Amino acid sequence: MWQYIAKRILHLIPLLFGVSLLTYMLMWMTPGSFYDNLKQNPQISPEKIKELEAKRHINEPFYVAYSYWLLNAVKGDLGYSLAYKMDASKLISTRLLNTFLLSFFATVLAWAIAIPMGIVAAVHKDSIADRALSSVAFMGLSIPEVLLALLALMLAASTGWFPVGGSQSPMYDLMEPGEKFWNRVHHLILPTLVLAASSLAGIMRYMRSNLLDTLRAEFVTTARAKGMAEGWVIYKHALRNAINPLLTIFGYSLAGLLSGAFIVENVMAWPGLGRLTIEAITSKDYELVVATVVMATALLVIGNFIADLLLAWSDPRIRLK
Amino acid sequence: MPLLEIKNLKLDFKQGDKMLRAVDGVSFSMEAGETVCLVGESGCGKSVTALSIARLVPTPPAIYPEGEILLNGSDVLKMGKKELRSIRGGIVSYIFQDPSASLNPVFRVGNQIKESLKLHRPQAATDDEVIRLLKLVGIPAPESRIRDYPHQMSGGMQQRVMIAMALASEPKLLVADEPTTALDVTIQAQIMELLLDLKKRLGMSILLITHNLGIVGDIADRLAVMYAGQIVEMAPANQMLKRPLHPYTRSLMGSVPKLGHELERLNAIPGNVPSIGFMPTGCRFHPRCPMAKSDCSQKVPELVQVEPGHWVRCPYWSES
Ligand SMILES: Nc1ncnc2c1ncn2[C@@H]1O[C@H](COP(=O)(O)OP(=O)(O)O)[C@@H](O)[C@H]1O
Ligand code: SF4
Ligand SMILES: [Mg+2]
Repeated sequence: MWQYIAKRILHLIPLLFGVSLLTYMLMWMTPGSFYDNLKQNPQISPEKIKELEAKRHINEPFYVAYSYWLLNAVKGDLGYSLAYKMDASKLISTRLLNTFLLSFFATVLAWAIAIPMGIVAAVHKDSIADRALSSVAFMGLSIPEVLLALLALMLAASTGWFPVGGSQSPMYDLMEPGEKFWNRVHHLILPTLVLAASSLAGIMRYMRSNLLDTLRAEFVTTARAKGMAEGWVIYKHALRNAINPLLTIFGYSLAGLLSGAFIVENVMAWPGLGRLTIEAITSKDYELVVATVVMATALLVIGNFIADLLLAWSDPRIRLK
Repeated sequence: MPLLEIKNLKLDFKQGDKMLRAVDGVSFSMEAGETVCLVGESGCGKSVTALSIARLVPTPPAIYPEGEILLNGSDVLKMGKKELRSIRGGIVSYIFQDPSASLNPVFRVGNQIKESLKLHRPQAATDDEVIRLLKLVGIPAPESRIRDYPHQMSGGMQQRVMIAMALASEPKLLVADEPTTALDVTIQAQIMELLLDLKKRLGMSILLITHNLGIVGDIADRLAVMYAGQIVEMAPANQMLKRPLHPYTRSLMGSVPKLGHELERLNAIPGNVPSIGFMPTGCRFHPRCPMAKSDCSQKVPELVQVEPGHWVRCPYWSES
């Protein structure tokens, strides 16, 4: 077990190296840089810019600059965000918490609703409930996430029930602790709903088809032939098998969400990792771009790793190696 | 009163708005302690007939338009859910063709056997009883196997677990649907030996389903041959094996696979079993029958008793 974990972590190293090299190279090759914007700012002296450039080795060959970055990264310093004027690692860690909160609640909500829905649809196949759920799912699949996010914003703006974007109010710092907590929760609700709604349909349909397949399995007939009540046959024998492939999907979705819910974060102005990445790319804040991409990769891999662990835990036929 | 009495059983599968008849007027009975073998090629309706005894064919798509299945005197086709649950395992237990698919892959074998005990003999639902059952079916070192998952066992061992699970509820009738078909040839013989041994020791009835006439000689008291949803010949085993009367039975016997030569058999009887919904007119076997007469494609043959206890569905049975 520990050996397996160690192995997976060792695999992560060359991957992160490759990803950082590639991202760094891409940012290096694209025309323009953050300094070009700085140079147009009359309040910043050319000397100051020179100094900054020298510190980041921007005028030296690519491999020199990258080597310096890599050396620092190994020490835990992922570089410096010119736009935010702070360490990339620090910036990312605050954003990561926001992304984590959003993803965590959205995932829990989506799964808590979609799994029972899928089960009901499968168990009562072709019933009115199944058809109703299927049409809800179909609608869910056909509305793009962007549209859903925009609709949510519209709802928030027109009713005033929810704040329009952001993760906290401008007055946040002046609030009492209780107020602060509610303020955060209040901001979190709408993006969570949108993000959960966008993955709900897929999970539900997958659960439904998996359970239907499993209900046709021979071991289900065996369980019935023993004289087991149909409820037990479904909820013990069939469901326990039908859920296994979903654990893999769970891990992937976890991975995807952790690395940033790009659309929701951007449209609803949620200060998470996904939004930070887009901001960094548009402002050519190149070290921040590399840092966010490396971080997202690591989270993706960790998500997959969690999926594998879950599956191995749930399915005795699967051995970790 | 016979343990099992099936009378004129008919079973349709609903497909679109058509009813396709898979079992067409099957009747036979089994006394307590008797072993009957149901023989026939794949697709003849053996499995659905056998599964019907505990109402294990899902309805829908299946429908029972006619017939009775009297198990211990009461009609299974009229039973409610609760009664069905008590006869499943309680009176009739099943083992199936592919033990690796019939055991639930995510539960330990000991647990799966214990489930049967809990349902029908709750006071005996202990590890000791599970171990006793595993010993009964010839699993070596059963103490160390009860915590195994199915995939940790060989096919033969898995089938033994299935048998142990079936016996756990102390049924009166064991239905074994092609219990050796998915296993290696050497293992096949071992499983048949085990069934024979259990039959002698426990005195229960066995309904053995197979498409291989070569394995029935030692165990069967009576044989019933099925073709295209109907019984075409039924007789005491030794009688039929000595002198089969129906052309289909004779073709089957001519194609008994030699040990390890399963493939040769496939080509033995020319043509295929008709699929449900596409039954030939007249005698259903006529397109493949080596003895077919000109009127066989029109005249529907009845199952008639030609000797005491020997039934044949072919008017030309004596011409051989
Ligand atoms: N669930 C089902 N739906 C439709 N047709 C079925 C179903 N199960 C079995 N059949 C059909 O019923 C016929 C008999 O099947 P089966 O009893 O499995 O045959 P056997 O066991 O003799 O090989 C076959 O033609 C098969 O295609
Ligand atoms: S009735 Fe005719 S076709 Fe049918 S089995 Fe007899 S001889 Fe063959
Ligand atoms: Mg079959």
